[in-house]
Amino acid sequence: MSESAYPIAIFFAAIFTNNILLSNYLGMCSFLSVSRELKTSFGLGVAVIFVMTSTSMLNWVVYYKILEPLGIEYLRFIVFIIVIAAFVQLVEMIIERVSEVLYAALGIFLPLITVNCAILGVSLFMVIRDYTFVESITFGLGSGIGWFLAILAMAGIRQKLKRARIPHGLEGAGITLIITGMMALAFMGFSGMLQIG
Amino acid sequence: MKQESMFSTRVYPVLFMVALTVVFISAVSGIFLTTEERVRLNESIFQKRAVLYAAGIDFPRDNPPKIQEIYEDRVQEVGGEQGQPDYFRVELPSGETGYAVYVRGAGLWGEIVSIFGFRQDLETFTGVEFVEQNETPGLGARITEQWYKEQFRGKSGPFQLVAEGASDSPDELDALTGASRTSEAVLKIANKAAEEARETVEQGGE
Amino acid sequence: MATRGKMKKTFTDPLGKNNPVFAQVLGICSTLAVTNKLENTVIMSLGVIFTTTLSGVTISALRKLIPGRVRMMAETLIIASFVIIVDITLRAYMPDVWQQLGPYVGLIITNCIIMGRAEAFAMNNSAGLSLIDGLSSGIGYAYVLIVIAFFRELMGTGELWGITILGDWWTNWAIMVMPPGAFFMLAIFVWVVKGAILKEEEAAK
Repeated sequence: MSESAYPIAIFFAAIFTNNILLSNYLGMCSFLSVSRELKTSFGLGVAVIFVMTSTSMLNWVVYYKILEPLGIEYLRFIVFIIVIAAFVQLVEMIIERVSEVLYAALGIFLPLITVNCAILGVSLFMVIRDYTFVESITFGLGSGIGWFLAILAMAGIRQKLKRARIPHGLEGAGITLIITGMMALAFMGFSGMLQIG
Repeated sequence: MKQESMFSTRVYPVLFMVALTVVFISAVSGIFLTTEERVRLNESIFQKRAVLYAAGIDFPRDNPPKIQEIYEDRVQEVGGEQGQPDYFRVELPSGETGYAVYVRGAGLWGEIVSIFGFRQDLETFTGVEFVEQNETPGLGARITEQWYKEQFRGKSGPFQLVAEGASDSPDELDALTGASRTSEAVLKIANKAAEEARETVEQGGE
Repeated sequence: MATRGKMKKTFTDPLGKNNPVFAQVLGICSTLAVTNKLENTVIMSLGVIFTTTLSGVTISALRKLIPGRVRMMAETLIIASFVIIVDITLRAYMPDVWQQLGPYVGLIITNCIIMGRAEAFAMNNSAGLSLIDGLSSGIGYAYVLIVIAFFRELMGTGELWGITILGDWWTNWAIMVMPPGAFFMLAIFVWVVKGAILKEEEAAK
């Protein structure tokens, strides 16, 4: 496979075979608490896609253009999390002023996103795997979409579950985790569809 | 009165954050600098261990001075820069001269960097060590497990993949259950390893 | 002045019914990924305990100085610094484990438990109490993950801490070391504990 096709492979791998939530367990906290409602899940999912793509871009530039030349890569944890927090704050301020509709739809999710491990996870993985700029963007976008798909599917299933009888001890977190496990199994089934290398 | 509230809402938070940042960053940097030497030592031992393992030479895992000693005794770094040689010339346990070569290839998530050890014919593997890999933990990352790496010893390519635990002839490699992509990536790397090794060693003038 | 009783309650609460993992299912993101090996889990848990304890103490000691507007930023900075210390220490003294843990050490920063305890407890309590709270929250979190790792490694590979425990008669459950295994194990754990608590409550009636 040619070099230029590699980002596309990363993109699809991030959505399906190596979904950041289902195979790396990242972003579980908000996944478990928000997936109760389809509508809120959709809003949070969209916000995650947006923030993940943008921060992977920003953090790539910060890491390779500032931290690495200065030889202070070991500070990346602090720098990444601050970039993410500042970006989220900025976006919140902008949409608050620009569009009331958008703010009503996404505004409440933005503070939740700073502490979403998946966002920081994408930035850390990107550095460890030595991705190029383009690869980082597709990886961020793909991971965001993958997370979005997982939470949407889960919210749909949980809405149906409301009328199902579940053993008392399993209500809430327990049954959600079991379903997540099954979804992880199902997504593993995609693993034959990619050709890398 | 007004000035004071201005101070407490605008200036103080900024001053506080600056002070906090300075204190913590200097603490962290201090710790980093005091351990830097050790980290570098770890990295060089890591490489030496990988070469010895790939060549099938026994060494005590947790004894850096001993590893250093065996390495200096057995291994000769050829070409390249200090710490990053083109290839390694090794005295194998059998007494014959072998080689160890870096081979790189694409994995599922990122590059897989491996060191392959060869007998003098540059065909037969004496072993392999995966130095860098980013495969999925629990799935593809199992290529770093002992049993998986051990299967390479004494084999020569070209290879074909068989189910996990099923390989029984010198041209078969075990795949990993649930990690087809990683298994295929390693197969590709193993198949090209001999050729790359021959090129590198010939360039080294042997 | 904290009484002995309060200190004791602060310590035992997160270990039992109010355990952050199975009461609220918080903070599993960063560590669940490394529970396929007991050794990695134990090291990672120690890192989490170190971070919760020290960040709790630091934040609590500074709580009167931290301006409200930059509270979250200050807390994040403090937590991130301690996590970097864990990362650097592991890299220097346990390079093999460091390599296997990869990015997951850094992800301790976004572990909801640490931030949650800082917000809910350390901001309102004395440094001494925060120390106890941080320590026990960390331990409460650690033991759940260690139990999960114990079963995953044992059933998935027949080994514990890299040493073969189960003989040839045991067929390895490959699923246990794969991602879904962690979800199933955690669900079973939550089920067992919650079932026991429910039963206890019923008996008390």
